[in-house]
Amino acid sequence: MRPTKPPTWSYSGYRRKLTLTVWAVLAGIAFCAYWAGVSCKVNWHDLRQGIPKSIEFLGFLFPPDWSAFADMLKPAIETVLLAFLATVFGAVLSLFFGLAAASTISPVWLRSTSRFLLAAERSLPEIIMVILLVSALGLGPFPGVVAMSIGCIGMLGRLFSDAIEEINPATLESIRSVGAGHGQVIFYGVLPQVLPSLIANSIFRFEVNIRLSVLLGAVGAGGIGYQLYYNFQTLQYQRATVAILITLGLVFLSERLSSFLRKRFVPDVKL
Amino acid sequence: MIDVRQITKSTRDGIPILKGISFTVKKGEFIGILGPSGAGKTLTMRCMNGLTKPTSGEVIFTDNENNLINLTHCKGRELKRARQKIGVIFQGFNLVKRLSAIDNVLIGQLGNMNPLRSIFYGFTDSEAAQALAVLEKMRIGHLAHRQTGSLSGGEMQRVAIARALFQNPVILLADEPIANLDPTNARKIMKLLQPLAQEMPIIGVFHQPDVIMEFCTRIIAIKDGRIVRDGDNKLTHDELVDLYGAELNEIETAQRSTPTPNETHQTPDLVIQRLSA
Repeated sequence: MRPTKPPTWSYSGYRRKLTLTVWAVLAGIAFCAYWAGVSCKVNWHDLRQGIPKSIEFLGFLFPPDWSAFADMLKPAIETVLLAFLATVFGAVLSLFFGLAAASTISPVWLRSTSRFLLAAERSLPEIIMVILLVSALGLGPFPGVVAMSIGCIGMLGRLFSDAIEEINPATLESIRSVGAGHGQVIFYGVLPQVLPSLIANSIFRFEVNIRLSVLLGAVGAGGIGYQLYYNFQTLQYQRATVAILITLGLVFLSERLSSFLRKRFVPDVKL
Repeated sequence: MIDVRQITKSTRDGIPILKGISFTVKKGEFIGILGPSGAGKTLTMRCMNGLTKPTSGEVIFTDNENNLINLTHCKGRELKRARQKIGVIFQGFNLVKRLSAIDNVLIGQLGNMNPLRSIFYGFTDSEAAQALAVLEKMRIGHLAHRQTGSLSGGEMQRVAIARALFQNPVILLADEPIANLDPTNARKIMKLLQPLAQEMPIIGVFHQPDVIMEFCTRIIAIKDGRIVRDGDNKLTHDELVDLYGAELNEIETAQRSTPTPNETHQTPDLVIQRLSA
């Protein structure tokens, strides 16, 4: 017996609609990409001509001038310290911002103020902050640390306050019900539940900060990023190659370290 | 021990939920509060611990040194001091899942502790030994160092009871302590609670008329925010029909599936323990 057709819904009709929608969306994206390409003056001709030029340029980069390695070591350590310091400052301050911004434990005025500050910190890219701070504080790692710490607070503070809001308020109420004060509720109810996530995110942020500090170095925050920028500007390409290789090594090592630390200490937190 | 006097509570929109609840709890009583959903049972319990302030009326609590504390009006330190003496067991256990069972029990003493000591130093060995003794009384001493989140529902409820007992309360409030448990575990918890009533009065909200009749000494029935019955632990079928109306069918169906105490019903945690042994 043939199956009776449902009166209002047909599978083939639904399927056709779905397929048409998917193709329409894909075509839309393709059109936008083409339009963006035209606006940005992307053309295949330049790309074709650019490839041999790039290969020629790679020739300038090699072989690396390893005599620069000793000079680069100190800036490389500076970059790591910069990232570490910014992560520590950022993580500690984000703890307070996170607590203040969580709707479950914080009064409205404090919550809205800290939420506003966190959003403001996130909306300002670190690179702009560094450019502004360099003009105020001068060249060197200090403006970099300040800018990255602020960026760190923006991100970690938000993640931290979200983690606090996910705690069942009834758990906190039950601690209050034994006569505990506000500080005790935070220490025994909030922190044990959210610290693993804060630790995992801070370790991940350290990895991000390493990459960021290279970039910020190029605009005046010192470290290996500045060496990279300076050697390119002074056409010492083979020295710059050493800086690139050191940067790659740092990024790779920090990624491995971050993943190892997270697996070792907070294995149950997924980022 | 605790005197509830004509408490009323309305929502923000002015809809009354409690419409004048009064009763007095005396030493040695195990009171079961019964009533259909939305009758105001949990709200009454919350008013008795100061977690919710009633719109009018008073809750007067007498501590073990015969001090009278008005829970409706007290605030700050006085309210904290009163709460130390009132143990509460919640339906959803409400434990800190990332802490160990013994840490959760120790939380029961936070109210008695100097906040600075609780933050910078923590609990002493002798306090930990006492907490362990309470866990052993609940027959889960061997789980003291397990993370609470990894325990079964029955085990978590025992930790919650241990936390309430570790407070050395004068009175114990239990808001649906067995609602989230399977029938066998529910009976086990009731059997743990029953002898405690000799030391401190227990007031519990329950949904199972048969359990309440077996274990409690006094039954208070609440309907539409009013007490409709306050008396001994014998409920007639007519009283239940009056109380629950159409809801009674669902409760009776749930009870029919409840095994009698003679039926051996293994809970999953017991099965797992035996398999791993």
